[in-house]
Amino acid sequence: MFNILKQVSDYAKGSIQAAKYIGQGLSVTFDHMRRRPVTVQYPYEKLIPSERFRGRIHFEFDKCISCEVCVRVCPINLPVVDWTFNKAIKKKELKHYSIDFGVCIFCGNCVEYCPTNCLSMTEEYELSTYDRHELNYDNVALGRLPYKVTQDPMVTPLRELVYLPKGVISPHDLPEGSQRPGLPNQKTESVTTTNE
Amino acid sequence: MNQGIDLQETFIQSLLDLGLSPGLAKAIWMPLPMFSMIIVATVGVLVVVWLERKISAAAQQRIGPEFAGPLGVLQPVADGMKLVFKEDIIPAKADALLFTIGPIIVVLPVFISYLVVPFGQNLVITNVNVGIFLWIALSSIAPIGLLMSGYASNNKYSLLGGLRAAAQSISYEIPLALSVLAVVMMSNSLSTIDIVEQQSGYGILGWNIWRQPVGLIIFWIAALAECERLPFDLPEAEEELVAGYQTEYSGMKFGLFYVGSYVNLVLSALVFAVLYLGGWESPIPLERVAGLIGVSETNSWLQIIQAAVGITMTVLKAYFLIFLAILLRWTVPRVRIDQLLDLGWKFLLPVSLVNLLLTAALKLAFPFAFGG
Repeated sequence: MFNILKQVSDYAKGSIQAAKYIGQGLSVTFDHMRRRPVTVQYPYEKLIPSERFRGRIHFEFDKCISCEVCVRVCPINLPVVDWTFNKAIKKKELKHYSIDFGVCIFCGNCVEYCPTNCLSMTEEYELSTYDRHELNYDNVALGRLPYKVTQDPMVTPLRELVYLPKGVISPHDLPEGSQRPGLPNQKTESVTTTNE
Repeated sequence: MNQGIDLQETFIQSLLDLGLSPGLAKAIWMPLPMFSMIIVATVGVLVVVWLERKISAAAQQRIGPEFAGPLGVLQPVADGMKLVFKEDIIPAKADALLFTIGPIIVVLPVFISYLVVPFGQNLVITNVNVGIFLWIALSSIAPIGLLMSGYASNNKYSLLGGLRAAAQSISYEIPLALSVLAVVMMSNSLSTIDIVEQQSGYGILGWNIWRQPVGLIIFWIAALAECERLPFDLPEAEEELVAGYQTEYSGMKFGLFYVGSYVNLVLSALVFAVLYLGGWESPIPLERVAGLIGVSETNSWLQIIQAAVGITMTVLKAYFLIFLAILLRWTVPRVRIDQLLDLGWKFLLPVSLVNLLLTAALKLAFPFAFGG
């Protein structure tokens, strides 16, 4: 008899417990409704890429000494270095250089090991094309600099979470003119320009 | 008791004054409330779809539809237009006839159920004696359509979805009916009008939420299961069954399922408002306020205001419940099929039976408070 009563009370307690948990969950969901959306409205708003962003690779033709280190450190030997040996000056002469970004994994090894720093990472990540062969960049395409998010009049640049001042969560709330790359403690414009 | 505005009487009387026969006048009147109700139901769906998307977005810290019209209000219209113009595919090995009839059988009873939803004293298409029973009876037609479309699709996911839908509807029909029965017992009538009348007079204090706290929770859980809303959307559980019985459907046939599910949600919310939240009654009883100010009950302005407040109140209550359903959707994870049937048969059914017995006992003990 008492056993049944205990069962009933346990069951009732369980049900009340479950209802309490659902109530807690509902309050969490309800609380989220008053929070600001985290959405970055992409073509109109863009996040400012961080300093160590690994985007499309930039290549400076004149600095290259055709040493092919980039090819050797590349996981798939991707860069194509086309050079001839000029006997008159006893130096390698670079004719063509290309990287296929449809295959590149943006690991940055080539940039890291390039002895003359002729390779570098850019902030460019919008690499969509209609034909995958268009992603095979030759030395002219590799030499182009991408358009900066902060300078594009069509785009509202937004800082990433780490780059916001202490206590600020939304990049939308920052005052005018503070949407620039770099950490927030770099106060003057001169510091930021040298960092860019 | 003052009856308020009676549009039907007025309309038929004015036609009779024009020299038409009573039968003809009635025939001219009849399609008007029907069409307006269909339009109300359809527009209600558009509003609910928009609300669902916006509230879901807010709950997930997104923005939601924004570009189609101000705040994206035209998004559901755009979605509907897309569905209308999509190709209507019938799978080669499906049973074409049953495949086509299925969604119709699912949608029709839901729309017909709007017959008994009152928006005011006389703002109802028919005040049938068995109003709420008609709603329960009609809602049990839908699983036939679901099973039909699931079976006719000749697809294992569709069949599983259809079977699940049928099992779910049948097992949640019983606690639903039992919790409705408790309310019916208190108001001594199956008519939706009488159920609201019985709750009227004392504002928010007279509503059935205070007399049926257990019943209303059971009703809402069962209603969510009937509408196949999360956490009970097993029949279309997209991670397991692709889309359940909707898998093979496209174009307007899919649109019918889509519209049907949202109309059903609005309907359940409206019925909930009628059963437990005093239907068209406002939280503060308007007649008493009018009596205090000294406005006569037959004052035409008062009657218009009462009708307007009645419609607003019904819709507001319904939308509050829909809001709750959307919030629940993003809070509670989907239950498994065995958990679903456990909840239905082992929890809701006994609890609703006890609730019914308790209501009967209370009715005998305190006839003044429990509608003796």
